[in-house]
Amino acid sequence: MSFQTVVFYVLSAILIFASFRVITAKNPVHAALYLVLAFFTSAGHWLLLQAEFLAIALVLVYVGAVMVLFLFVVMMLDINFEKLREGFWRHFPLAGTVGLIMVAEMALILMSPEASLDQFKAAAPLAADASNVKELGRQIYTTYLLPFELAAFVLLVAIIAAIGLTQRQRKDTKFIDPAVQVKVRRDDRVRIVKMDAEKRAVADTDVVSEEQQA
Amino acid sequence: MDMKSLYLLIALSPLAGSLIAGLFGWAIGRRAAHVVTILGVAVSAALSLKVLHGFLTGEASVFNEAVYTWLTVGGMEFSVGFLVDTLTAMMMVVVSFVSLMVHIYTIGYMQEDPGYQRFFSYISLFTFSMLMLVMSNNFIQLFFGWEAVGLVSYLLIGFWFKRPTAIFANLKAFLVNRVGDFGFLLGIGLVLAHFGGSLNYSDVFAAAPGLANATIAIFPGVEWSLMTVTCILLFVGAMGKSAQFPLHVWLPDSMEGPTPISALIHAATMVTAGLFMVSRMSPLFELSDTALNFIMVVGSITALFMGFLGIIQNDIKRVVAYSTLSQLGYMTVALGASAYSIAMFHVMTHAFFKALLFLAAGSVIIGMHHDQDMRNMGGLRKYMPITWITSLLGSLALIGTPFFSGFYSKDSIIEAVHASNLAASGFAYFAVVAGVFVTAFYSFRMYFLVFHGKERWMENHGSHHEHHGDHDDEEPSGDHHHGLGPNDKPHESPWVVTLPLVVLAIPSVMIGYFAIEPLLYGDFFKGVIVVNSEAHPAMAELAHEFHGAAAMGVHALQTMVFWLAVAGVALAWFFYMKAPHIPAAIKQRFAVIDRVLENKYYMDDLYFNLFAKGSRALGTFFWKVGDMLLIDGLVVNGSAKLVGFFSGVVRKLQTGFIYSYATTMIVGVLALMTLWFAQLIF
Amino acid sequence: MNWADLNLMPAAPELFLFSAVSVLLLLDLFVSDAKRGITYVLSLAILAVAAVLQLAVAEPYAIHTFSNTFVSDPLSTLVKLAMYATTFAVLVYSRQYCADRGIFKGEYFTLSLFALAGMNIMVSASHFLSLYMGLELLSLCLYALIALQRDSVPATESAMKYFVLGALASGLLLYGMSMVYGATGSLELAAVAKSIGAGSANQVLLVFGLVFIVAGLAFKLGAVPFHMWVPDVYQGSPTAVALMIGAAPKLAAFVFVLRFLVQGLGPLVADWQGMLAIVAVLSMAIGNITAIAQTNIKRMLAYSTISHMGFLLLGLIAGNADGYSAALFYTVVYVLMSLVGFGILLALSRAGFDCETLDDLKGLNQRNSWYALLMLLAMFSMAGIPPLLGFFAKFAVIMSVVNIGLVWLAVFAVVMSLIGAFYYLRVVKCIYFDDAVDTAPIVVRGDMKLLLSVNAVALLVLGAVPERLVALCVEAMKQSLTVL
Repeated sequence: MSFQTVVFYVLSAILIFASFRVITAKNPVHAALYLVLAFFTSAGHWLLLQAEFLAIALVLVYVGAVMVLFLFVVMMLDINFEKLREGFWRHFPLAGTVGLIMVAEMALILMSPEASLDQFKAAAPLAADASNVKELGRQIYTTYLLPFELAAFVLLVAIIAAIGLTQRQRKDTKFIDPAVQVKVRRDDRVRIVKMDAEKRAVADTDVVSEEQQA
Repeated sequence: MDMKSLYLLIALSPLAGSLIAGLFGWAIGRRAAHVVTILGVAVSAALSLKVLHGFLTGEASVFNEAVYTWLTVGGMEFSVGFLVDTLTAMMMVVVSFVSLMVHIYTIGYMQEDPGYQRFFSYISLFTFSMLMLVMSNNFIQLFFGWEAVGLVSYLLIGFWFKRPTAIFANLKAFLVNRVGDFGFLLGIGLVLAHFGGSLNYSDVFAAAPGLANATIAIFPGVEWSLMTVTCILLFVGAMGKSAQFPLHVWLPDSMEGPTPISALIHAATMVTAGLFMVSRMSPLFELSDTALNFIMVVGSITALFMGFLGIIQNDIKRVVAYSTLSQLGYMTVALGASAYSIAMFHVMTHAFFKALLFLAAGSVIIGMHHDQDMRNMGGLRKYMPITWITSLLGSLALIGTPFFSGFYSKDSIIEAVHASNLAASGFAYFAVVAGVFVTAFYSFRMYFLVFHGKERWMENHGSHHEHHGDHDDEEPSGDHHHGLGPNDKPHESPWVVTLPLVVLAIPSVMIGYFAIEPLLYGDFFKGVIVVNSEAHPAMAELAHEFHGAAAMGVHALQTMVFWLAVAGVALAWFFYMKAPHIPAAIKQRFAVIDRVLENKYYMDDLYFNLFAKGSRALGTFFWKVGDMLLIDGLVVNGSAKLVGFFSGVVRKLQTGFIYSYATTMIVGVLALMTLWFAQLIF
Repeated sequence: MNWADLNLMPAAPELFLFSAVSVLLLLDLFVSDAKRGITYVLSLAILAVAAVLQLAVAEPYAIHTFSNTFVSDPLSTLVKLAMYATTFAVLVYSRQYCADRGIFKGEYFTLSLFALAGMNIMVSASHFLSLYMGLELLSLCLYALIALQRDSVPATESAMKYFVLGALASGLLLYGMSMVYGATGSLELAAVAKSIGAGSANQVLLVFGLVFIVAGLAFKLGAVPFHMWVPDVYQGSPTAVALMIGAAPKLAAFVFVLRFLVQGLGPLVADWQGMLAIVAVLSMAIGNITAIAQTNIKRMLAYSTISHMGFLLLGLIAGNADGYSAALFYTVVYVLMSLVGFGILLALSRAGFDCETLDDLKGLNQRNSWYALLMLLAMFSMAGIPPLLGFFAKFAVIMSVVNIGLVWLAVFAVVMSLIGAFYYLRVVKCIYFDDAVDTAPIVVRGDMKLLLSVNAVALLVLGAVPERLVALCVEAMKQSLTVL
């Protein structure tokens, strides 16, 4: 067993443990931190595959930006996680059994001699001066141009969706548009109603004042 | 315009009119409804005439093409196609022309009816269906047209759907026709199964000669001639549609429909569909003597015995209805004698003069304010001169007066039967000759009762409420039935009614003289109607003896047939003009015969008791045991309970919680995985 | 890749769509709520122009571009045109409904059109990656659309469910794709098929991946047992969005499945045939039987959709060009029918009232006999009663399984469609024989009335002349599958 293999198994074990704790940890901050751990170990896997750029991107983007945001949200919002997780342990036996069977079957299939995974050759090691970033860039902007552009649109849609779902016009806002204010004319504010004098003047003045308000 | 679009236009323009009048009748109003339908039919009629003209001058050729493939199922093509040859062209002219006349006539007849637009829509739809039927080049389309005309006929018989008798009549027509259709469908099934797997006429006819001696075993061990069975089954269909004994019972009752319908559908066109079909199938029928004998016997029974019933009717429309039955019998006899062209000739002449008689009867009915009882009429000739003259011409044509159109066709039938060498021809000859006398008698009985003699509507008012016959003679509809008051006078009908009478009278008188030679003895039907002249030499003999239309008319004066007709007219005159007490006395003396006739040979009662009641009893039995116990109890309720139980279970799974949904998905994957990798896992 | 080689013409409609919608997104910022009609009209115009472009660049053979990640072939052309028309109809039908519910906003249009663009990509992708990106684009738009009515609890809830389950399904699909990639070393459909066909790929790995792919695809179609989201989402989302989900995406999903299974994994036909058969049988059974127990008509239509997906799969199971074209025909017909069904529900809804239960349809004939007739046509067609179009669609797919000798499956399908006829006819019974509960007048915009009528009558008219449509499907399929 080579050193790399040992590292792989260690990383994988940590990854699985961390993932498990993400969904079982009681404290949401703990769960988020375990997620950070899971990302880190995944990044470790990338490194093993000589994909430094992806490893760094994973750490920078997910751990650095996304997870921090997550933690902020978790800590700032008063979400009752206990209530959200209600019934978790009640359903755990069934879900766990299904999951276990799934894993067992997958293992049996993939590790069977028919699957012959051992016959797959490892990718040829990159030349010493090969640049991960450069190669990735080349691929993205040539062969995978279309999927890459599509990804951009997926992000655009995500932005639209996020804004569309969250942005609200506050009803109590006192926002005033100066441009409209400047354009106001006298007729907009006051309307003079000519009328004959009548005895029952009380009711009429009411009407006039209502109209002015309108 | 190429021929294909021309034919399409002929068939579809009545449909277009019908759709517009039917769907948008409420919006466009009465006037527009009849204008648009008449326009549609007029286009058809004009173009049909053009087509016929093309055939007569020899410019047109036979058109046989699929127009549109509707559906392809496992190698079977259901297509809409037209076969237009001389036979079709003739039928197209008859159908569209009579229909056009009836359309015009309807404007006057249905004037006050609230269902005006609906009526026009129906009759145009009928015209479309009938054209599709005659123009078809395959059995499927033929059957479609067959059912479509049946449907419209059903709708129109029950047009006044608030009258229980009309509903009874249309149900009866519907059921009786089902019996015929059942045979027809079986026949088509046999054709499909044994004639090369195609339903196109040309393919079937091409396959037929090779199958002349083929047999099938319907019951194990009993071999029957395939051709005979097929032909008889097909003919059973024709018996239903063309009202041949014993499936004739629906036609007299169909008179519940408005009179224009009786003229168009139940006299001139639809009822001849069966005869048209047999003529079209002549290459098949020629191969089976048994079937031809069968046809001849059925036809002669119808021709003679239905004529007898005409004698005792008092409802003017019923007289014409029974006369139609009898004439249909004549045509059928002609088919049996392999004289298809004569049958079609008679179809044509009959279409004109019978439509004329019906429309004239309708005109009389209008004049009498919807009183149909002849005993309340009399002397109408003074008040309705046009109706009188045209009726007289129609009656003369019907009884076969020399030089009138009916004479040529009817006399040819009698001659053909005489010349036929089939076993049944002896009986048939007797029936058709005796029928001449009977026809003349009842036709002129009606004529004298209606147009001559005393003006009885003043004295005898009210008797029509108790006149004889069964329930469906009555017209209980309040807004239609009043009859004339003692001080009213009948009046001539408006021009829209009389114009069709006059127009129809012209061919009723003349067409026979001009058409007999080309139609029967020329080669008009050559290649269309197939006659095996060795086995069935009747037509050939007739052709040998024929020396021109004029000579035939002159010669007729010295034949027995002519004098029988004269005797019938004379007897009618004597009984109903000279000595009206004699018929009453005869009626008393021979009460038994009278009762048999009045009850229409007890056919209705037989059917009603045997089939209707019997099947009701059977139905009740099956309903109790089969439906209530087995199907309702076990199958329906049982399966409903099962379904209910099952959907309850599924609803329980559909909890609304994401985790259970996700679990289901994972279990689904797991199941697929387990199934596909069973041997790897275990 | 050389930029000079990049042929953008085959993708012109998509490029136009993406750019035009982006412009629309910006333009909409300057449109006040009162003038939202401008956005609406512009959206319709974009659809029309895209359709015209589509026709202009159509070729009777397949053209690949973007380094073989994108293909334009007659199949994609036909389906895209159908999707433009469908989206057009959806926008017209839902206008009043959305306006009444405060979701007649710029986002509604941009999201709908981006969803359409995503579907276009799904239909035209020839590479696992582009297929997947198209799918995600569509899904994301749909999640957001459902939740757009954000004050409605059921809508938010169903959006959430759809999102979570959709993510799970995406995961399954990706996992399966990775297995196929591992076995064949390629993500390009043609290369994958070639590699499998040559026999050089590891069979176990392939089938293992196939299981996950089929699961993911079945989720997209909404077939049992991956169907659980369908009823909840249909019922929970605003009717207009339910229509959006039920119509064009089914077309896209069908072609998506076709690209995956036939063009990519075609040599594994023996395996996926069996899997699809199980899924189809379950879908027809559970869809039809459960629909009977529903009183909410949207939910009933959801189950009916599930059963329709089962029928659609029959065509794929056939595993030959005839079957595929039958399935394509079925999908087109299904979309036409569901447009009418939901269109009527939209027409009957008004501000503050959603036509959702069978009771709301009661006595429709008394209230407006024309809409009653249209609904009758839709229901009869869904039930597969001749001569309506639905009959021919059912007939075609059932024939296709008969032709490969799976008579038991055909018989099962017929029995299930008989069971299904029950609840469709129950709707008709409610419409015609029950007394109206709701008697409010039905007010429908003229353009919608016209389009809806044309839509429904098409079921009848095309039913009389189904040959043309069938021929179109057969032709498209034949010309596109030659490059297999």
